[in-house]
Amino acid sequence: MKFLIQLITIGISAFILELVMPWWCIAIVAFAAGYALKSKANFLAGLFGIGLLWLIKAWMLDASASAPLTERVAAIFSLSKPLLMLVTALVGGLVGGFAAMTGASLKKAKRSDSYYPQ
Amino acid sequence: MLNLRFFISLAFTLILVFLLNNSWQLGATRIPPLGKFLDPFHGFWQNIEPKGFTGPKELQITGLTDKVTVVYDSLLIPHIFANNDDDLYLAQGFVTAQHRLWQMEFQTYAAGGRLSEFLGEGPEGRILDIDRSQRRLGLGYGAVHALESMQKNETVRMIAEKYTEGINQYIATLDYKTLPLEYKLLDYAPEGWTPMKCALLLKRMALTLNIGDKDMEMTNALKLFGKETLDLLYPDREPGIDPIVDNAGGWKFDPVRLDSIPLALPDELIAIKKLPNPDPNVGSNNWAVAGSKTATGSPILCGDPHLNLTLPSIWYVIHLNAPGVNVMGASLPGAPAVTIGYNDSIAWSVTNAQRDLVDWFKITYQDSNKNKYKLDGQWVDTKKVVEEIKVRGKETFYDTVIYTHWGPVTYDETYRGENELKNYAFRWISHDHSEELLALHKLNRAQNHVQYMDALNYYGSPAQNFVFASVSGDIAMRVQGKYPVRRKDEGKFVLDGSKSSNGWQAYIPNDQNIAYKNPARGFVSSANQFPADSTYPYYVTSTSYESYRNRRINNVLRESSNITVEDMAKLQGDNFNMKANECIPVLLFYLYEELPDSSRNFLEVVKTWDNFNTEDSEGASYFEAWWTELMPMIWDEMNTNAVLEWPTSYNTIKLLKENPNLSFFDIQSTPEKETAKEIVQKSLARAVRKISKWKKDHQTENVPWAEYKDSFIGHLLPPLRPLGIAVKHGGNGSIVNAHSRSNGPSWRMIVSLEKTGVKTWAVYPGGQSGNPGSYYYSNMIDRWVADKHYQMIFKSTQAETEKAALYSTSLNPVSK
Repeated sequence: MKFLIQLITIGISAFILELVMPWWCIAIVAFAAGYALKSKANFLAGLFGIGLLWLIKAWMLDASASAPLTERVAAIFSLSKPLLMLVTALVGGLVGGFAAMTGASLKKAKRSDSYYPQ
Repeated sequence: MLNLRFFISLAFTLILVFLLNNSWQLGATRIPPLGKFLDPFHGFWQNIEPKGFTGPKELQITGLTDKVTVVYDSLLIPHIFANNDDDLYLAQGFVTAQHRLWQMEFQTYAAGGRLSEFLGEGPEGRILDIDRSQRRLGLGYGAVHALESMQKNETVRMIAEKYTEGINQYIATLDYKTLPLEYKLLDYAPEGWTPMKCALLLKRMALTLNIGDKDMEMTNALKLFGKETLDLLYPDREPGIDPIVDNAGGWKFDPVRLDSIPLALPDELIAIKKLPNPDPNVGSNNWAVAGSKTATGSPILCGDPHLNLTLPSIWYVIHLNAPGVNVMGASLPGAPAVTIGYNDSIAWSVTNAQRDLVDWFKITYQDSNKNKYKLDGQWVDTKKVVEEIKVRGKETFYDTVIYTHWGPVTYDETYRGENELKNYAFRWISHDHSEELLALHKLNRAQNHVQYMDALNYYGSPAQNFVFASVSGDIAMRVQGKYPVRRKDEGKFVLDGSKSSNGWQAYIPNDQNIAYKNPARGFVSSANQFPADSTYPYYVTSTSYESYRNRRINNVLRESSNITVEDMAKLQGDNFNMKANECIPVLLFYLYEELPDSSRNFLEVVKTWDNFNTEDSEGASYFEAWWTELMPMIWDEMNTNAVLEWPTSYNTIKLLKENPNLSFFDIQSTPEKETAKEIVQKSLARAVRKISKWKKDHQTENVPWAEYKDSFIGHLLPPLRPLGIAVKHGGNGSIVNAHSRSNGPSWRMIVSLEKTGVKTWAVYPGGQSGNPGSYYYSNMIDRWVADKHYQMIFKSTQAETEKAALYSTSLNPVSK
């Protein structure tokens, strides 16, 4: 449950922040959610939170397209259209995943420092 | 203790973001910043234009003095309604940039020799070599002169400045999300526009159209083959041609005469690596028929300029309306005003007016410092210009270009050269001051023949054949450009640069340029052929003149009456292959011996062919296969280090017919001696093999012409091949429907100049938008392939235009 909340929070906040900030705001969002909403699978929450957001957005833009730009760009990179969508999701997802993981590991660090002195 | 996991994870994330936020060179390819580029909220996905997309209803534009309305019709053609010329040109700049910014800027980078700045030096340094060529040909030097001319004239300065302002207003609205696709792919951003860029763009057009020359080729041919053979292979005037203006005995003026010092013929062999000449298929058709020959009784004017077809489309169609002007037609993205078009009273179109406007002068330096060179018996100072070429990912390249009395020394031992003694300076008409924008501004507003003639007096280069027709019933043709007065054979060979008398002494006065009005035959036409009959009192020469399209057009027009717009559309799409029609009987004449079955079948297809290059024609493919085997076989003597040029198709066919024992018909690699007969037979055997290989490769028994020709409209940047579009279409070079593999009619226009209102039809192979993510990137291609035109919306009021609107945008002034 916590995982799902974390994932959805990442997706929604990234969606909002992307309206006003460059692409790398996804790292900030995932980092913050990794820290504040730490779950058992932070990496996966970031990966799917951002990956799905990017996939759905890309898919929606492509679905309403008046010209086959996705196919054209895919061909420039010698990819197929579904593969280009997947690569898009993966690029966003990986950044989200690692950022979420980083955020989560910061929290653990704090806890261990304050509660379990060595 | 520090949390190791946190730091490793943080470092990894930061590195990942850094990698994805920057562009990387991997081998020959540049990878865009993948995070930025693939982000669907800002990256390339945002360049996808949704179905039913329309632009904003209102925009605030700094610098406008009054409100401007832009009405877009269903082809996304903007109809600009402004209250004064200043606002009109500002709006033209803004609207054009909105659809074509990347293309406009790319073309000026290309002309300015700055492609390496964002493309890098390219595989084997090819991009850097292109940049150096533009610098060493002096495109910037010519553009500076053009800019000086622009600034001297109040009107032209205003036009260029306002147009520039409009483009910059658009650039100011951009962020990464709204940037055109190509900037995102290549990871760079637009810089500000300047009037200098308009000048560079005009020079780029001149480069395409009038930089062709064969001075070095002719010099070598003279040395290798002698004067007699040279004249046989490359006659100034091919017999049996139909000139643009046939006015025999009618040239009633006193021509400029030069002291006729016979020019010394050079005696040298040049083995520099000359820059390639422009594609000989760059040409055009235009004609106008008088009311006496049309069904409506009003003149009809047609024009289709042929260029290397690219996407974004070469032309941008626009309608400009302000007090005193209501003009519409094709404009060059990056240059203000309408280049080819029509207004309420007149219409005009252009074809390239080939003439030798280039000379190469051999320079003798005093010593290896190259500080002085010989001119009229003295050592004169050279001027050294250090060209700074920025190269992405590498250190800046500095190229020293030496300027002389003649112009820049393009070729020396540092560039495509042979040795220290071979230094050639470039003299080009497009280096000179000129006022083309003023000519276009006036032409856009011309109401009649007198005003058309006046406007053209300001037009210098690239020289064009301007066809004209007016609502008042006149038709006319004028071969206009700045033409040097040439002595016989002058400009054909490389010249001695140490004598200033070898240069251009005078120019043909405008009123002595080739022109005529309302000829008795009821039509005027041009298709890059020889410009005048033999009584025209000036010496005329060029790299080559076209010999087929013009005769076909004239034959059809001569025989036509009650001409309709449909007839004209049919003629623009006419596929009759006159070259094949004249060549095939000559080839068949030599094939009287028994042939193998495969050759007999091949010949049967050729013989039964109707000589039309329609899409499904097989004969057209067979003939083309044969012709492209025959030409290199005949001119194999020209495969030498010294640069040479093949004679024209027209003259080759003539020689095959009339000189069967010409030494060139001997194939050098074989021990026996071939004549026309053997070369025809041997080329046939090869053509048969070529066609059967094609059939095997394509796993088919049919060789339809459109498949065999396999045309492709590529993106302006050829490595972006998926942004180009393959088309299956009839026609070919030398055919009225002049669509070869990559060249073709870039704009087709038909104007009926009726008293009740000018009506026009047009189409071009592409679309108004330069965005590969827009429906309007290529929406007109299908109709263009079908040789069908669109009727243009051309009204004189905003209200009437709005009836056909897709949407309108108000451009509202904001004070600075």
